[in-house]
Amino acid sequence: MAGRDGDFKLIRAARLIDGSGAPPIERGAVLLEGGRIRASGPEETVAPPEGARVKEFSYDSHTALPGLIDSHVHLIGIGDGRAGDELTTLPDEVLTLQAARNARAHLYSGVTTVRDCGAKNRTTLELRQAVQMGITVAPRLVLAGRPIAIIGGHLSYFGIQATGPTECVAAVRQLVKENVDFIKITASGGSTRTSVRGRPSFDVDELTAIVNEAHKLGRHAAAHCTDSQSIANAVEAGIDTVIHGRYAEPDGSHKYRPELTERIVERGVFVNPTLHQARERVWQLERKAESEMLSEDEQDLIDQFYQGWESAAAFWGRMKDEGVKLVAGSDASWQHYKLGGTSFQDEITAHVDIGMTPMEAIVSATSDAARSCWIDDEVGSIEPGKKADLLVVEGDPSHDIRALTSVTDVFMDGERVDRGNLV
Amino acid sequence: MAGRLDSFTLIRAGLLIDGRGGPPLERAAVLVRGSSILAVGPEHEIAAPESAHAQTLDFSDRTVMPGMVDCHTHHNGFGDGRAGDDLAALSDETLTLQSARNARASLFTGVTTIRENGPKNATMLRLRDAVRQGVTVGPRMVLCGRPVSIIGGHMSYFGSVVTGPVEGRAMVRQLVKEGADYIKITATGGSTRTSYPLLPSFDVDELTAIAGEARKFGLLTAAHCTSTQGIVNSLDAGVDMIIHCIFREPDGRFDFKDDVADRLAERGAFVNPTLHVLRSRIWAALRNHGEAALTTAARRRMDEDERAFETAIEHTRRLIERGANVITGSDSSWGDYPLGNAVYETECLLMAGMPAMDAVMSVTSKAAKAIGVDETVGSIEPGKEADLIAVEGNPVENLDALWAVTDVMADGRLVERGSQESISATRQLRPASS
Ligand SMILES: [Zn+2]
Ligand SMILES: [Zn+2]
Repeated sequence: MAGRDGDFKLIRAARLIDGSGAPPIERGAVLLEGGRIRASGPEETVAPPEGARVKEFSYDSHTALPGLIDSHVHLIGIGDGRAGDELTTLPDEVLTLQAARNARAHLYSGVTTVRDCGAKNRTTLELRQAVQMGITVAPRLVLAGRPIAIIGGHLSYFGIQATGPTECVAAVRQLVKENVDFIKITASGGSTRTSVRGRPSFDVDELTAIVNEAHKLGRHAAAHCTDSQSIANAVEAGIDTVIHGRYAEPDGSHKYRPELTERIVERGVFVNPTLHQARERVWQLERKAESEMLSEDEQDLIDQFYQGWESAAAFWGRMKDEGVKLVAGSDASWQHYKLGGTSFQDEITAHVDIGMTPMEAIVSATSDAARSCWIDDEVGSIEPGKKADLLVVEGDPSHDIRALTSVTDVFMDGERVDRGNLV
Repeated sequence: MAGRLDSFTLIRAGLLIDGRGGPPLERAAVLVRGSSILAVGPEHEIAAPESAHAQTLDFSDRTVMPGMVDCHTHHNGFGDGRAGDDLAALSDETLTLQSARNARASLFTGVTTIRENGPKNATMLRLRDAVRQGVTVGPRMVLCGRPVSIIGGHMSYFGSVVTGPVEGRAMVRQLVKEGADYIKITATGGSTRTSYPLLPSFDVDELTAIAGEARKFGLLTAAHCTSTQGIVNSLDAGVDMIIHCIFREPDGRFDFKDDVADRLAERGAFVNPTLHVLRSRIWAALRNHGEAALTTAARRRMDEDERAFETAIEHTRRLIERGANVITGSDSSWGDYPLGNAVYETECLLMAGMPAMDAVMSVTSKAAKAIGVDETVGSIEPGKEADLIAVEGNPVENLDALWAVTDVMADGRLVERGSQESISATRQLRPASS
């Protein structure tokens, strides 16, 4: 599948965004050799070696940028609104097929790396095996396998419940044995029916045991946290990424905690705010309202969302201003949010909506996302030596972030992806 | 699906082959309502009701015919020469993903119905669940669940092993409970390492119990038979289809038995000779060795394969002459024969002397009859499901037209098949030297 050494591709584009946050290079070029980037920069500075066989791609009104990295997906999700508690009743074979479908759709939409934040049993690991065997295509997969949860905790139905530091360590070792890339912890309750929303789940000694064992075995750890206490716990335990991360009290009210923000920044913890997840449902209802009457509940949901959106946006704007590294991760296909299409672009757009510049949002979906997934030595930017994962879009996303939705070509591992391949 | 009954599609066909064996009709039309065929005939006689909203598909430069029916598939397989024993070592999830890929290859190349002959555990049942839930697409599936075999017998690694009539009956009940549509039995050994292809496996009392139990539930049976005694035992037990149907003695001699062939014909049992899977081995060997000289061992093996293939063609010719119901069942992706290439098997039936229109019927209406789905598919007639394909050229004049499928309709909807490049990549290439 990957391009071979000695096979060169020269990609010219009206604009080149390297993913580092540096201003775009007008009339840029990227030279690929095999599966890697060999050179990049202004067109006139990039040339293949004398006499080499080169395939050329010219994109006159387009921007080339690193393939997008969605740092939070659930590949087994259906995205039709069903609860995780129900999703998990499907057989592993069906969930694996759904994961394959989502992976393909997300790749074709321009996402060349995904971090899967929780699947049932071995389904995503099985998917990766099938990709390696050439059975199906997928973005690069950074996998948690199953999340680690407390008894009855959020996502506990996916297969791992642990109590106490020793069981937590054992869970990490089991996952590492199955070759996961990182450890996902649910540090607070969530949508899972038997979990307690707004409250922490694991104690700090348990979280610390998980994070230390993960680090010892070369894996990073990311924690689902939907309340302030669980965020504080996870940060104290040395977590690498906080997921969701809105400061909330057990009663559901929001209280800003400057000292917590300070600790997050100090410790260099990434935060994946999953901004669009709730808005996706609202957008769907707004589209529905164009042709039919909404129910009272549906209308309430829209009203509630807009009542809360401004304070949420202000919160995230403040986090960003105070130096928190926000990384883009969609959380699709969870609940109503489907992978593929423009799903990840919608999350990136939400980052602009809370006050990022388009370029900052691109960084949060490329190089910063790569850093948060511990894969920045391989992907996330266009630099010599990195994997040749590129996205070509029409227009200039550094001006208008929606240009990311006009995908013309996707390159992965130095090969142009046949986005029409349905076999 | 509500509202689909009001949706009409008018299909114009330059040439129509309805699959029933009559002469092709020029300038014809098919009217589809919802998922089924409402009317078919000369173009000027067929129209959607006034006032109805009808979509028109113009295939007036092409031939329209029934979607193909492949009676013998192995969707778990890779068709890359690996043994079933090794295939069965893969996880159920991997095999299900591979089945999904193969199912798309089948559907996109014009096969709208398959009968699955041997997957592991519940993999194909789960694939069908996923198709029903819209997770993936595939042809209509007639499933056995798993083949029933003796201890160590052919495909015993797929999960249904029984001994004695009582266990045989229990296994049929188990498979019915899981959603099987027919019962596949391995009546002789086969390529499975612990089995004996030249010897029968089950005894007649066991076969009779299995076939009888299946019949009780209204299910058809089919038996894998790679040697003569297995064929005879299966006929004694009342099995409906003989697969492979190789006339071979325990000492390895090929010996066509006229009396057995006559029994097959009289009984009206269907015969699925699986010819191209033999030729695929030869093709793979030619490909693997390229221009390089074969080793003595490889040469001997290829000579044997060539003799087996020629003998199988010859025996199929005699079966056809004696009036046996010979149909297309590819046996892909078994051995070196990947799915998406059913046409090669039909081509082999032509080589065995089957008349051209019969060959087309062997992969449409007769195949549908053989697997018990002829009330719903296999021909273009009012009341049947709208599973049809458009091809370039006339397959009765030149069977290669079946490779030039331009459109596939399943259940009244055009199938989105993706890029031509990706479909072409599923094609098994004929070696230059053959
Ligand atoms: Zn999530
Ligand atoms: Zn077979």
